[in-house]
Amino acid sequence: MSKMMYRAAVLSTIMEEMERDPNVVVLGEDVVGGMGTAGGPEAIGGIWSTSTGLYDKFGPTRVIDTPISESAIVGAAGGLALAGKRPIAELMFADFIGVSLDQIWNQLAKFRYMFGGKTKCPAVIRMAYGAGYNAAAQHSQSVHQILTGMPGLKVVMPTTPADVKGLLRTAIRDDDPVIFLEHKALYAVQGEVPDDPDFMIPFGHARLSRAGGDVTIISSGLLLGMCEAVADKLAAEGIGCDVIDLRTTSPLDEETILDSVEVTGRVVVVDEAPPRCGLGADLCALVAEKAFSSLKAPPLQVTPPHTPIPFARELESNYLPSVDKIEAAVRRVLSYR
Amino acid sequence: MPDIRPFCMPKWGIEMTEGTLAEWMVAEGETFSKGQLLCLIETAKITNEVEAEYDAVLARVLVPAGGAEQPVGALLAVTAAPGTDAAEIDAFIAAFKPADTSVAARGGSSDAAPAPAAAAAAPVTNAPRKIETNRPISPEALKFAEDNGVDIDPIVGSGRGGRITLQDVHQAARYPANPALTGTLSVEAEDRAVFASPLARRIAAQHGISLSGVKGTGPRGRISKADVLALVPAPASAAPAAFGAPFVAVANTPTVTRFDSVRKVVAQRLTEAKQTIPHFYLRMSANVDKLMELRKTANLVLGCKASLNDYVVMASARALAQHRDVNVQVHGQEIHSFPHADISIAVASPKGLVTPVVRQADRMRIDQIASATSALIEKAKSGRLGMDDMAGGSFSISNLGMFGIEDFDAIINPPQGAILAVGTITREAVEDGEGFAFESRMRFTLSVDHRAIDGAGGAQFLATLKSLLENPETLFA
Repeated sequence: MSKMMYRAAVLSTIMEEMERDPNVVVLGEDVVGGMGTAGGPEAIGGIWSTSTGLYDKFGPTRVIDTPISESAIVGAAGGLALAGKRPIAELMFADFIGVSLDQIWNQLAKFRYMFGGKTKCPAVIRMAYGAGYNAAAQHSQSVHQILTGMPGLKVVMPTTPADVKGLLRTAIRDDDPVIFLEHKALYAVQGEVPDDPDFMIPFGHARLSRAGGDVTIISSGLLLGMCEAVADKLAAEGIGCDVIDLRTTSPLDEETILDSVEVTGRVVVVDEAPPRCGLGADLCALVAEKAFSSLKAPPLQVTPPHTPIPFARELESNYLPSVDKIEAAVRRVLSYR
Repeated sequence: MPDIRPFCMPKWGIEMTEGTLAEWMVAEGETFSKGQLLCLIETAKITNEVEAEYDAVLARVLVPAGGAEQPVGALLAVTAAPGTDAAEIDAFIAAFKPADTSVAARGGSSDAAPAPAAAAAAPVTNAPRKIETNRPISPEALKFAEDNGVDIDPIVGSGRGGRITLQDVHQAARYPANPALTGTLSVEAEDRAVFASPLARRIAAQHGISLSGVKGTGPRGRISKADVLALVPAPASAAPAAFGAPFVAVANTPTVTRFDSVRKVVAQRLTEAKQTIPHFYLRMSANVDKLMELRKTANLVLGCKASLNDYVVMASARALAQHRDVNVQVHGQEIHSFPHADISIAVASPKGLVTPVVRQADRMRIDQIASATSALIEKAKSGRLGMDDMAGGSFSISNLGMFGIEDFDAIINPPQGAILAVGTITREAVEDGEGFAFESRMRFTLSVDHRAIDGAGGAQFLATLKSLLENPETLFA
């Protein structure tokens, strides 16, 4: 085990996989980063420092700076994948997915199906998502809500550096298009990471980060830490919470959720996307459909309101789920009578 | 009308429709204060104490203690501020309308009747009252709040824009939740060598079960709760259950075996046969006393070990040679009738049912048949039967007599036209002059393909077979 940051886990996994497999290529806006600067092309390595040193090591044929066109990045990744490469495309902000939606939704996600299984599309599309930086409505969103609903895509939302390592490696080696969502606020989080060069975490395999018999809290990404804080606080009062880190929203680990809810009978889903037609609604529907007889209280969502993300610091922090809001929701399902 | 309030029969639990006032703890005209015991009310389930929720005077008692049962919502007494005029109280009683109890019954509390201890903190629903509010509230929620006297001020609406929903009012009207807590549990660390769900890991840790090498049946081959539970040793199986001990179900997991090549062929051919061939069945039995006697002698004389089944093969073959309309194969719209009988014998081999063929059995002596069948059975048991041994055949014989089966109906082995099912030999009493005698009888069922063979043809064949078996010396003619 070695300690590293979330962003270092991203970079080192890409580095290791590029060394292992010459078909792995990286493309995106400013992934080389330093072109035209005094420091030289490899000086920066992307605005999130998740590609630093790749250009120096693998050169221009495997680390490709693209024009500012998400359609081109994702479209090229799809073509590379069909041609036998394993592209890792980076979108600087997940919000920009809109302009590449045809490539993702109508092309990558459907190649294997529409070609009758005769081809595969092993592309990874990495993107930074999430709010908390006063980056306003177009640079703060969580897009898993849209992508999880698209059959043909796998959607990954790692929470810890170790999960980044295990899940990104699985994503790169997977033969289907994988959306890999990295939370901006987690990039600097430190954590223990296994050194095993083949450490992989299978998709659809949730992590139980806290265990307790009274309330099930489900989340992934940045908000999971808040859920853990709430669980730790309530543990002192004798309230036990199962905190489930989904890791992947597609495929979904239904089994772990239902196993937990059958014991606790109470569910709080914590999500950074707005409440309508999203992950929270999906999971509430899941437990209502499949664990109704176990439920002791209506499932609750803790999400931002159904509005764009505000720019003002005070409004943004009020907009997002918080430890207090999650704790209030847990107490609310416990006090249902 | 300042502070005149009704005191009505409360509704405790969904099933409560009426109650009896057991005892007034405050006399008429007496002052009481909040939290003081007001009266005892009996329901079908419990007797409960009712505490005052405010300070007032018990101005008028309308239902005395020990009286008849009163419906939920019935006016039991009227409370008022000290010094309230009696005429005002009379007017209030005259104007009082009992609550619409049907609403309370439909949307009311589904909690069980609370224990007396819990009643202390109970926000037992108050008398109906009109609610004037500008807050957003659903009509049904407002009606419930008014009918049950629920104070909506402290309610935080859960609806869109803070609208108060019926569920919110129901919640406010109920006793505070007092959930039994389980507390925290241990998190079992993920073992990278083992792919198991969190609950499966916990159960395994609780029972000290190692999951390495366990085959998962969950999504993507993951080890599920059920996989681990199957490994948990059943406590009941350790010792025989004592008398009176409850029955404990144990894991009953099937062992899955895929069809092997023999079973695939058997399954495919017999399904096709049973589904497409119009079977009919002819039953008959034969006295085999003479045959059994003759067999011993013949075995000695010929130096062979012919079984009774060999004689059945031989007799069938001879009968088939006489009845060529039964010695047939059916191919599409054609009947192929053979001059000689190639008899398939059904053999249970270690790999499943096989049917090697005794060729031209109608031309063989019994010792030749015996050596042919024993060679085929030996090959079948050791799995050395070749295609030459199995191909063709114009008739089949299946014998389950050695298992004590009396008779059974076999499925035709296509493209053949018939199969003979042979049962065990039973000693049967038959009429013999004035009394009766015992004789050994063997039972046969002939399954016939009606597309190629008619009832009369099959019956004539069976009659010949019976005659040959009952007069076995004719087999040596």
